Amino acid sequence: MSEVQRRKYTPEEKTAIFDGEFMPHIDSMYNFAFRLTFDEDDAKDLVQDTYMKAFRFINSFEQGTNAKAWLFRILKNSFINEYRKKSKQPAKVDYQEVETFYNSDDVDYQSTTDLRAESVKDMLGDEISNALNALAVDFRTVIILADLEGFTYEEMAKILDIPIGTVRSRLHRARNLLKDKLRGYAQSMGYNTDEEEE
Amino acid sequence: MEKNEQSAGERKLQCSDVSKCFQLLESILDGEMGEEGKDVLKEKLAKCQPCFEHFHLEQAIREVLKTKCTKQPCPDKLADSIRQKIQEIK
Repeated sequence: MSEVQRRKYTPEEKTAIFDGEFMPHIDSMYNFAFRLTFDEDDAKDLVQDTYMKAFRFINSFEQGTNAKAWLFRILKNSFINEYRKKSKQPAKVDYQEVETFYNSDDVDYQSTTDLRAESVKDMLGDEISNALNALAVDFRTVIILADLEGFTYEEMAKILDIPIGTVRSRLHRARNLLKDKLRGYAQSMGYNTDEEEE
Repeated sequence: MEKNEQSAGERKLQCSDVSKCFQLLESILDGEMGEEGKDVLKEKLAKCQPCFEHFHLEQAIREVLKTKCTKQPCPDKLADSIRQKIQEIK
């Protein structure tokens, strides 16, 4: 929302943009909000606040650009500024610590040797969902943006205000953490996770 | 699983740079590598067993995430309530 205001839309244009370009994303917005807050009422409030802000700052939205990315950025910022404080989220992750550990080659190698694509395909929605929800919010966020919503690295960089290189590495680490959780489920469900162990 | 029966023998069983390869594969899966990604991918899948397995695992995870984690139903009344509030501030 820091962009220079290029022009002012007429009231009719505002309504057209709001209904035509913003409202169609409400399901994705709600899914994102719910996965950030884990609470239906908080998610509703967050989505509603986001749309109110979007309307208020509609002149800084450039028609023809990606409305969904623009809305997600507002939602993410609203969440950080308002909801994170009051929600029961754990404190911000110490990236340095987590990233150092999960960036080691051992972790990368282990990830492929003992979790099978077949086990993952057999998992139920709840197991996948719980694994995703168990990730710290910053890691959860990049997975949601990339894999659930299909944003490009460049769009994610803008939504999250971080460089593309950081998007790439955070996503890679998030996926390693997710695989850790999935491996736990696979083992507890008795899926074959170590068939090539010697 | 066909990979063990048919073709594991043609692939090397150790990847010389797992960390770099896996990040590259993930970028390809994310659609960030364009046309050149397709050639790299073809070669990796044909020649390297850890890369082959990692690629299929990552692909499976993406599929289940997309099919099973995007269905949180948005409450019906939310859109109406937003439209109403917008009317009020117009």
